[in-house]
Amino acid sequence: MKRSAHVAAPLLAAAALSMTSGCRKPEMQRCVDENNIVVDDSLCAKQPQSNQQYPNMGGGGGYVPYHPLYHYYYGGWGGYGWGTQAGGGSTVPAEGHSYANSAGHTTTVRGGFGSSMSGEGGGHGSGAGE
Amino acid sequence: MRRVAMSPRDNWQQMVEAAGLIFHSPEGEGMDRPYWDESAAYEFSAAEIDTLESAGNTLQEMCLAAAQHVIDNKRYAELGIPPEAVEAIEWAWEAEPPAIYGRFDVAYDGSGPPKLLEYNADTPTSLLEAAVIQWSWLEEQFPNADQFNSIHEKLIAKWKDVDSYLSKPVYFAGLDNAEDHLTLTYLRDTAEQAGLKTVQMLMEEIGWNEARQAFVDPGERPMFSVFKLYPWEMMVGEEFGPAMLKTYQSMRWIEPIWKILLSNKGILPILWELYPGHELLLEAHFAGDAHSMWDFVRKPLFSREGANIDVVRTGVTVETTGGPYTGPQVVQGLAPVSAFDDNLRPGAKRVPVLGLWMVDQECCGMGIRESSGLITDNLSSFVPHYFVS
Repeated sequence: MKRSAHVAAPLLAAAALSMTSGCRKPEMQRCVDENNIVVDDSLCAKQPQSNQQYPNMGGGGGYVPYHPLYHYYYGGWGGYGWGTQAGGGSTVPAEGHSYANSAGHTTTVRGGFGSSMSGEGGGHGSGAGE
Repeated sequence: MRRVAMSPRDNWQQMVEAAGLIFHSPEGEGMDRPYWDESAAYEFSAAEIDTLESAGNTLQEMCLAAAQHVIDNKRYAELGIPPEAVEAIEWAWEAEPPAIYGRFDVAYDGSGPPKLLEYNADTPTSLLEAAVIQWSWLEEQFPNADQFNSIHEKLIAKWKDVDSYLSKPVYFAGLDNAEDHLTLTYLRDTAEQAGLKTVQMLMEEIGWNEARQAFVDPGERPMFSVFKLYPWEMMVGEEFGPAMLKTYQSMRWIEPIWKILLSNKGILPILWELYPGHELLLEAHFAGDAHSMWDFVRKPLFSREGANIDVVRTGVTVETTGGPYTGPQVVQGLAPVSAFDDNLRPGAKRVPVLGLWMVDQECCGMGIRESSGLITDNLSSFVPHYFVS
């Protein structure tokens, strides 16, 4: 007898259903510098957001847009580890997506596994399996 | 063994999605048919299935002997394994922490012995297709036929067997793409049905806490038992590699790190050295070593999904695939051509590669992927099978 008596995979079926219905896990929200290098979240939290304007201190009056050194980066590849590269995401959150920051990472570094194959594409088997 | 043209089931897409396969028809990937292709099936005799099952079990014994040989003779450098990984490999080999599964890829057309192409011993996928999707296909299309497939119950039995060696939850970590995510979910499913508590996460979410000298989950809880769908050679070389090696003995990584010896293409020339002329093997050598083959493939020690492979005929490279993998290579003789008429493209051929699934050292099922050429890559299709007495 070569065959299984009964094959039931309810967890698998539920996961497939959630993926086809657009229910996804939260993506990363990271604080990055102008080169998309991940930095401490507190650097983003301490500064004004980029859509704010400030008085033009150079004379001439009026207001100029403020371009912060650090900004939040939403989704994409890479990890939460400080000094690592982020990419494939956006500076604005996508509608319908949820994001999570790396709460508690001040003593824990993340993103130290997975960098070799993150962001690869093509085919149904673009992951780490073969 | 024959390839049989079939009429796909009405609404087959919804059926396979409901069972868990949502990546059945990749868009814009250059494929001329769905990944899950039930417009054909392979029919086997019971005797042919016995041949394949026996081949898988024999190859497993040979591969374990080859791993022992590598360890006994310290041939790590030939396999491109860094010295810093050796201690963990040797410890894991002796301590025998839990190992779950693997997949031999063989060439076979029913007319001669199966020939080993490679052993995906570390991160094999196409698992849910083989274990679940083709099973439900069989129940609808050939309810009175049989299928070489007890993968599901063997996985559940194996998880029960290793339960006492694992702390809970058992973490399942992989990359953020549908195939890996659902493969992990299926493996979790079998573990949960065996009574183990599980949690799924991304490899990138694994944290290293230097003060605690521990890997931690997103909730800062220490991780002890981790199934990772991620290659050992990459883990060793990444940022957390040194911490992983330092703490290896205090954790339970599945598959264990000694699998790096078998998922490595360098095991092919080692096998040929140990079993020259064996009917299940193709002649193989480390590239650069003397050989007299004129028809062979050349592939890197660590290559995946058909990337960076050269096909050489009469000494001339006739086909090359691109990819990111470099470094030392092996050469392996071309398998006898196993090609079947393509029912969708008259005059064309389909070349099957049979994946023999090993769970708990036992060959317990088969999944077949086929391509238009000799190289099976991530654009190959999965075709179901059945057998008759």
